[in-house]
Amino acid sequence: MRVLGIETSCDETAAAIVSEYDGSFVIEKSVLASQAKIHAQYGGVVPEVAAREHAAFLFPLLEELGVPRDGAGIDALAVTYGPGLVPALRVGVEAAKALAWCWGKPLVAVNHLEGHIYSVWLDGEGKIQNPGTKIQTTQSNSVEFPAVCLLVSGGHTELVLMRDHGEYELLGMTRDDAAGEAFDKVAKLLGLPYPGGPEISKVALNGNPRAVNFPRPMIESGDLDFSFAGLKTAVRVFVEGGEVGRWGGDLDIADIAASFQQAVVDVLVSKTLQAVKKVVPRSVILSGGVSANKLLKEILESELRRVAPEIPFYVPELSLTGDNAAMIAAAGIMRAKRGAFADPLTLVADPNAKLN
Amino acid sequence: MTHVIRTEQETKKLAGEFAQKLRGGEVVFLNGDLGSGKTTFVRGVAQSLGFHEPVRSPSFTLVNRYKVSSGGINEIVHVDLYRLKTPDELRALALDEEIGRNDAIVFVEWPQNAQGLLGESTYSIDFVINGDSRAITIRQQSLTPHQPM
Ligand SMILES: Nc1ncnc2c1ncn2[C@@H]1O[C@H](COP(=O)(O)OP(=O)(O)O)[C@@H](O)[C@H]1O
Ligand SMILES: [Mg+2]
Repeated sequence: MRVLGIETSCDETAAAIVSEYDGSFVIEKSVLASQAKIHAQYGGVVPEVAAREHAAFLFPLLEELGVPRDGAGIDALAVTYGPGLVPALRVGVEAAKALAWCWGKPLVAVNHLEGHIYSVWLDGEGKIQNPGTKIQTTQSNSVEFPAVCLLVSGGHTELVLMRDHGEYELLGMTRDDAAGEAFDKVAKLLGLPYPGGPEISKVALNGNPRAVNFPRPMIESGDLDFSFAGLKTAVRVFVEGGEVGRWGGDLDIADIAASFQQAVVDVLVSKTLQAVKKVVPRSVILSGGVSANKLLKEILESELRRVAPEIPFYVPELSLTGDNAAMIAAAGIMRAKRGAFADPLTLVADPNAKLN
Repeated sequence: MTHVIRTEQETKKLAGEFAQKLRGGEVVFLNGDLGSGKTTFVRGVAQSLGFHEPVRSPSFTLVNRYKVSSGGINEIVHVDLYRLKTPDELRALALDEEIGRNDAIVFVEWPQNAQGLLGESTYSIDFVINGDSRAITIRQQSLTPHQPM
């Protein structure tokens, strides 16, 4: 099966073609508007939010992807229908509906978070940089269920139990800010550039993660929910309260960044281990933009090795941690194989789409 | 009117009292730095109007909506312009459909990023952290129905 994936739920306009042979996924080509040639061609920088309503972006991207105008060779379309911002989602959803309708090809509606989960089924190595080459990938049946999935990004922090393909149960989520949002905002407080996640990690390399004992919000709340708003405020009060000097004068941004990062990672890891203890899964998956964070990956992996060495741990290839359409196509393929199609006449974008 | 606040509970209590003044159609601008309590205040308003699900930060989603049923108010529209780079991008949010709706209350965090494009607010609330305490100042800006963009 060969599926065209389309993703416009957030800041990134993305399209990809993924094929599946005997349970293996191959990313044929995956393009992002922010990286593509058309980016320069159609007006330089994509303003983050305005790009969302720019339906015009998508078709040049499909051209760059090499999608034939008649849809020849494409077996189905997969599109993100939510969650996300409605004007942004609509761009992809309406385009996918129109193409499915014109081509007479089946359409699959994919939840953005489901897409992130499926990013671990893909091997993206060299794919986005060297589009067109085929790489043998992980077997699609290699992840055993049930799986505990920690989804962390700029907009999401959720623990999800995946019982099988397409079967999800929400175990816990953030009650205020997402983990990625906390990274971005704390980076801003520390005067670091956007996007904050990678900047904090970079600066933190030279800092002492034990320098400041920031709170670990809700770590012992007894449920699997998260809260990161208070951590942002704690960093702020610390920085502004002149505590930096009071702590002996040798604390710097690197120490604060490292201590903050440690606090976030401790909470994420602790809650994931609590989830593992509760449901005893056969796999653990970490995905979403923040899964690019090296410390998070390392600590979660080593803690899992310690408490549950028999449970395999999956993380997406670095190039697939951020938003992309290959993961949407992969999730779409699994839905298509179950015959879970959407109606191109009635599909609507759902900003609050739930995993189910 | 400035209130000196010591705890998050006091912020929520003040938000609950503020909620009682709302009739529908109001636009409320929330000014204050990161972590000063803007989202916490909206959470307090939503809870006191009977919304019992989590009120999350809209910084990423830009707009969150909470269905309520209280007097003439059916929805709280929680807008956060933190990530907006140019006011132009505001058009993508189609807020003109919300502002002026008389069964909704619109809260806007980081309204300065709209650079005036949202028109005037009914209330403007300032959040300031002063060491261990906080100051919340509520100002009524206009009595007239809101002029949309
Ligand atoms: N008096 C207070 N009022 C409001 N929030 C408080 C107060 N004291 C501590 N906090 C904490 O500060 C944080 C404020 O975060 P948030 O409401 O997201 O701020 P903003 O939306 O202004 O960035 C919350 O985690 C809250 O628990
Ligand atoms: Mg906020």
